[in-house]
Amino acid sequence: MDTSFPNPLDLAGRHCLVTGAASGIGRATAELFAALGARVSLVDCNEASLRALAEALPNGPHACHVHDLADVDGIDDLVRDIVAGLGPLHSVVHAAGIQSVLPAKDLKPEVWRRILAVNTEAALALARNMARKRICQGGGAVVFISSVMALAGSAGAVAYAMSKSALHGLARSLALELAPQGTRVNCIAPGFVRTPMLERLERDWDASQREAVEALHPLGFGEPQDIAQAAAFLVAATGRWITGSVLVVDGGYLAK
Amino acid sequence: MDTFLKEMADILDEESVRENDRLDGFGSWDSLAVLSVVAMADSRYHATFSAREIRGVATVGDLYRLLSAGAKAG
Repeated sequence: MDTSFPNPLDLAGRHCLVTGAASGIGRATAELFAALGARVSLVDCNEASLRALAEALPNGPHACHVHDLADVDGIDDLVRDIVAGLGPLHSVVHAAGIQSVLPAKDLKPEVWRRILAVNTEAALALARNMARKRICQGGGAVVFISSVMALAGSAGAVAYAMSKSALHGLARSLALELAPQGTRVNCIAPGFVRTPMLERLERDWDASQREAVEALHPLGFGEPQDIAQAAAFLVAATGRWITGSVLVVDGGYLAK
Repeated sequence: MDTFLKEMADILDEESVRENDRLDGFGSWDSLAVLSVVAMADSRYHATFSAREIRGVATVGDLYRLLSAGAKAG
């Protein structure tokens, strides 16, 4: 009796594009996908961190692409270069994101426009390429990393929340456009995850504020690997019948 | 100082503020106002302060001196 069981998260032979790959959730996703056998095209604006990561990843080959995703007009060329390098894409994980915590009355248009450019417009500019046969030959997957801030309000986070909730509408409609090609589009909404972005916020908290925020998560703060594993679940064969959805991975933050 | 007082009045949503006003005397002196001051320090004074440092000052005048000192040091 054959007792072997194929790894349902196997990504061998898949070419995956991961943005924000130099740190945090993007980095953890790139590391996991490489470990699962994928060829990973890493995108970030931090060249040194990107190159160090590419050298450390197992399997491969992998490729680095330094690009500021606020340059939305340049994204079609970026995707073309990525495909020219490692072949057609199987999947895209948009993990890059920025935020600026400020009350709405003090938010300047250039600040919120940059947040929207990186968090939302870049997501659309990247993902719409998956409709093109020379970019993705069908049966692929797109994952947008959104946030619990897209589902629960937080004072001071209006631009970030706006940018992340837009990803949910984008995913639902794009899922319907790409379904005929068998390509799935989903979001993951993380709670507070220990990343450089959270570390920057924590610097301004005193001990009681930190405890209060952590107490909002019944299972404590998350780790980047928690989100990377959810992304692998959606991208691999395990996510075959999931599209247009938002997977909340938040340690129970929204359960309250 | 006059420009700073006007900016602080805007952040605190007050008609005007004075150099000797205690910050904790304003109902709008909260964590979001502190973040607005951090952003102002960065954009106007090219100085980086943490929210903790901003919260540590007592009066509007003390805040002005803190930001000005940070601008000179930068």
